[in-house]
Amino acid sequence: MIPVDTPSVTAEVTRIVQAVLGDFGAEEITPESTFREDLGMESIDVVALAGRLQARYGAGVNLAQFVATLDVDSVRELRVGQLVDHIVLSMSEAGERP
Amino acid sequence: MTLVRANGVTLHVQELVPTGVAEPPTAVLLHGLATDSMASWYFTMAYPLVELGYRVLLLDLRGHGRSERPTIGYALDDFVDDLSALLEKERKVLLLGNSFGGTVAFAYAARHPSRVSALVSVESSPPTTAWFARLTNRIGELAAAVSRPRALVTVGARRGALGAQRAQDAARLLAETSVREELPASRLPSRDRLAAITCPVLCLYGERSHVVEMAPETQRLLPQAALRVFAGQKHTLLIDQPEDVRAAITAWLRTSQPGG
Repeated sequence: MIPVDTPSVTAEVTRIVQAVLGDFGAEEITPESTFREDLGMESIDVVALAGRLQARYGAGVNLAQFVATLDVDSVRELRVGQLVDHIVLSMSEAGERP
Repeated sequence: MTLVRANGVTLHVQELVPTGVAEPPTAVLLHGLATDSMASWYFTMAYPLVELGYRVLLLDLRGHGRSERPTIGYALDDFVDDLSALLEKERKVLLLGNSFGGTVAFAYAARHPSRVSALVSVESSPPTTAWFARLTNRIGELAAAVSRPRALVTVGARRGALGAQRAQDAARLLAETSVREELPASRLPSRDRLAAITCPVLCLYGERSHVVEMAPETQRLLPQAALRVFAGQKHTLLIDQPEDVRAAITAWLRTSQPGG
């Protein structure tokens, strides 16, 4: 069972963001960090991140849908905390289903 | 994220699967040359296709996005070989290609006509001699633009961070590989091979883009092709007008792919 409380998901998302960024990773990642401006992620990196999170949390979080609803420019505004909130919400909704 | 070894290169592929659909048909999304990656499809058509019941495969072409960037191997056939290796186990696929990605899609369909159920091209053309002459000019212009000092700063000021990023990707591809030499020298499919593509075809164009000038030739080669021109739009149609593109493709798929 994967922990889906906010601190655990934040830690996991941070770890995966670092993995996606590789050697060029940011020094500090916080819930307020924007993927684009603060972390220097390109739109293709966000796609790679979504793929890894999908693999970790399963289809229930539907990150493809979440990210796909953002156009290429709004991806720039996306913050780490928004993504964490989306995952926590999706996982808790999935858990409540009979 | 998935990295797949195909045709001797490591390719970045993303797969999106619809829930509750048994044996969904597969749609493959191919992006444009140099300044493009799978991201332009990911943020526009990928999820809408999943909602229509397709299993969606997105590919970063060799030298692009997060795929490997070998120094050589950039003729049209190399891109088609990659796609053929990747789709080896697929029965029949829907291909969607933006700009050069559309050209790769047409070339794949010319090589494997029975393995393509339908083809959608956005601002693109089949691989004809006239189209490759234009591609050659375009690559030359691009190479000249990105090699100018401070070019990236200028692009950044004009088109924002995304534009600057795209220029940087293009600069790397043009500087570090033989794409400028190899792509223009590509062996092209014969006209007979292109004309043997009999699947349904949809071609979308921006009215203000020069690519629309290729439409009559495409229509002669592929009389079945449905053409649609978007008023006032440029070559960046997919990124600039994702909702209109989405609506046009969705409506066309419903009529051309009954039950698909």
